[in-house]
Amino acid sequence: MGTHAKLTSRLTAFVLLLFVLVGALGWRLVDFQVVRAEEIQEKSLERRSVTQTLTALRGDILDSSGQVLARTVFRYDVNAAPKNVGPVFRAEDGVVTEHSVEAIAMELAPLLGLSLEELLPRLEGDSEYANLAKAVGAATYNAIRDLRVPWIYFDQFSDRLYPNGAVAGNLIGFVGSDGTPLAGLERQFNSCLAGVDGQEKYERSAEGVRIPTSNVVTQPTQDGGNLNLTIDSNLQFFAQQVLADTVAELNADWASAIVIEVETGRILAAAEAPTVDPNDPAATDAGNRGSKIMQFAFEPGSIMKSISSAMVLDSGAANEFETKKAPDRLQLEYGESIKDSFDHDEFDLSLAGVLRYSSNTGIYAFGMEVDEKERFNYLQDFGFGTSSGLNFEGESSGILRPYEEWQYADKYTHLFGQGVSVTALQMGFAYQTIANGGVRLDPILVDSCTGPAGEVLYEPNQKGYRVISEANADLNLQLMEKVVEFGGVGKTAAIEDYRVAGKTGTAQIREGDGYGERYAISFYGVAPVENPRFVVGVTIYRPEGVSNSAKATPPFKAIMQQALKHYRVPPSTTTSRDDIPSNRSGKPGA
Amino acid sequence: MRVMMLSEQDARKLRPSVIAGLIFVLGIVLVYVVQLSLNMVLTQDAYKLSKLMAEKRQLATEVQIIQEEVDSLASPQNLADAANRLGMVANPASVLLDIRSGKVFGDPVPADPDETAVASANMVANAALGTVSEFSPSTIAASGFDISVAIVSDADSALALDSGLIPASPTR
Repeated sequence: MGTHAKLTSRLTAFVLLLFVLVGALGWRLVDFQVVRAEEIQEKSLERRSVTQTLTALRGDILDSSGQVLARTVFRYDVNAAPKNVGPVFRAEDGVVTEHSVEAIAMELAPLLGLSLEELLPRLEGDSEYANLAKAVGAATYNAIRDLRVPWIYFDQFSDRLYPNGAVAGNLIGFVGSDGTPLAGLERQFNSCLAGVDGQEKYERSAEGVRIPTSNVVTQPTQDGGNLNLTIDSNLQFFAQQVLADTVAELNADWASAIVIEVETGRILAAAEAPTVDPNDPAATDAGNRGSKIMQFAFEPGSIMKSISSAMVLDSGAANEFETKKAPDRLQLEYGESIKDSFDHDEFDLSLAGVLRYSSNTGIYAFGMEVDEKERFNYLQDFGFGTSSGLNFEGESSGILRPYEEWQYADKYTHLFGQGVSVTALQMGFAYQTIANGGVRLDPILVDSCTGPAGEVLYEPNQKGYRVISEANADLNLQLMEKVVEFGGVGKTAAIEDYRVAGKTGTAQIREGDGYGERYAISFYGVAPVENPRFVVGVTIYRPEGVSNSAKATPPFKAIMQQALKHYRVPPSTTTSRDDIPSNRSGKPGA
Repeated sequence: MRVMMLSEQDARKLRPSVIAGLIFVLGIVLVYVVQLSLNMVLTQDAYKLSKLMAEKRQLATEVQIIQEEVDSLASPQNLADAANRLGMVANPASVLLDIRSGKVFGDPVPADPDETAVASANMVANAALGTVSEFSPSTIAASGFDISVAIVSDADSALALDSGLIPASPTR
């Protein structure tokens, strides 16, 4: 074989080899780029991409002036990876120093609220997770993070903060440790407050840095709306202070106070003591974590007489001048008797006199002039026996039996507040009806729910109901004014320079088949009489050693006075009607 | 396949142009350089974005810390306690002035700590109370209140405003 032929065959072999190699590579390339392209791309994307949940913020709860009563904050669980625990190297002023685990633990322990003996064992072992502290605040988180300990890591989560503590805690309710709303408005208006979590997907490099233009938000976050209450937190706090003082002084089970703006039906304060601090619900007995104003129905006693007198006036059964004989004890035909709270000769009482002396026999004499069905209808119209429309969780409707079922004492005891049970909310709005010219308004506790951009998502649809005529409502208020003007206990509810109308109540409390020795004492009142602005209703439940409502008037007076001062209501410029008879002889004056 | 022997002249004709090759190579280099620069800018921005996001988180945390401090200081519980420590007692008697008629409603009465039905010290629980008002011992000592109402009659001390309007109270 010549040189030329040898060269040609070698070249041919080389070219063939080259073709095989290129072919093999080409085939592999096609395999990667075409045949398995999708599968490989998916695997690659899976490694690079990160899916992150974008936490939606729960909305705030605000009072009538925009003061925050509940907000969402971030809390942190502090964790360690014991497997990686070791000395920490820190560069300070260009010098790298080694800090032992013990030295780091000494820095960490006070921040975590742990002793060194408690902390060190948690840092031992081969696991990758050990919780050191739960739900620490942002300041602690910052302090621990600044220590730059590589084996410490944090789990961030959103939590609820109630900056004013127990102020309106009975209304706001609270959420569980996992953020689930458990009580009050937090639960009732969860659909307004809760947001919708979003989801974000993006790719990151080996160093964990987000690859530009790679992020795709798969689901946008929707933050929750804000709940705007009618509650005035300053007034609410004041009322809670007064009640806490009262409960402590009288060793009562509890006390409540409701403040209603007459013209609008807005609840400005619904205070209770004791009550729950939503920041720490476990610190309060389960029985005191709700709202008794809405949820607890009780026999109201004599505060009901103002409603009975309104029925008598409006039905036309009597006017302000008519009088009835009112003995201290009245024997009824079916063996029962009605007794006044004090022994007295037979009085000649007008309706105002009945209220002034809180005479059970007197209100019986007037009230029985009104037909049973008519009385029942009035009671219903005043809002008793039905839910208020607030739809507050666990709200009680009270008990008002249909008139067809009334038997014996049922036929009259409701006239002086027995045989029916009511909530403080219902009684407050019955007084609001009288103060508002006979029109009962639906109560409003939540003004609105507004979205993150300020759009209104919810607004209450308030209705008004004509219960009695305007003239009779105003007249009834003037009769109630005589209680504060001349009444033995009622006088202590008087506020200097303001005309106040109201009614005392000392209700017995059922125990078993009869009544116990302790009472529910109340004072419900309105001021100023000539242009009613507020209804304040105070109830003190089972005070010790108290058998009349004299202890209910000081908190009423303090709260009403604060409301008048806070809302800058000028003192009255008119005086009460001096021609209305209210004394024991059916004559005007003392 | 055949290998042909060519003359030197023919071979020179078939040799590829050096200039075209250079342009081709330079073009490729240029494309790579531009792509590299773009990548560098984008990567740099990615790091910057990452840093800014960390800064945003840090600032949000600081805002939360300060907000919680303000919440705590502004809470009625802290204000009641602070007022109580300074010897302040709520005065239930209100005195109102009708600006249009100049009429004064009510009589100024000094607040009496023995008479008031309200305990000024806080009695309402607040587990969120963290930062509270602090006063120096001299401030507290200086607050030893005198039970009398000082009527300020000095006209020079009256609040004078250009607009003639009374400013809204900063109290929430």
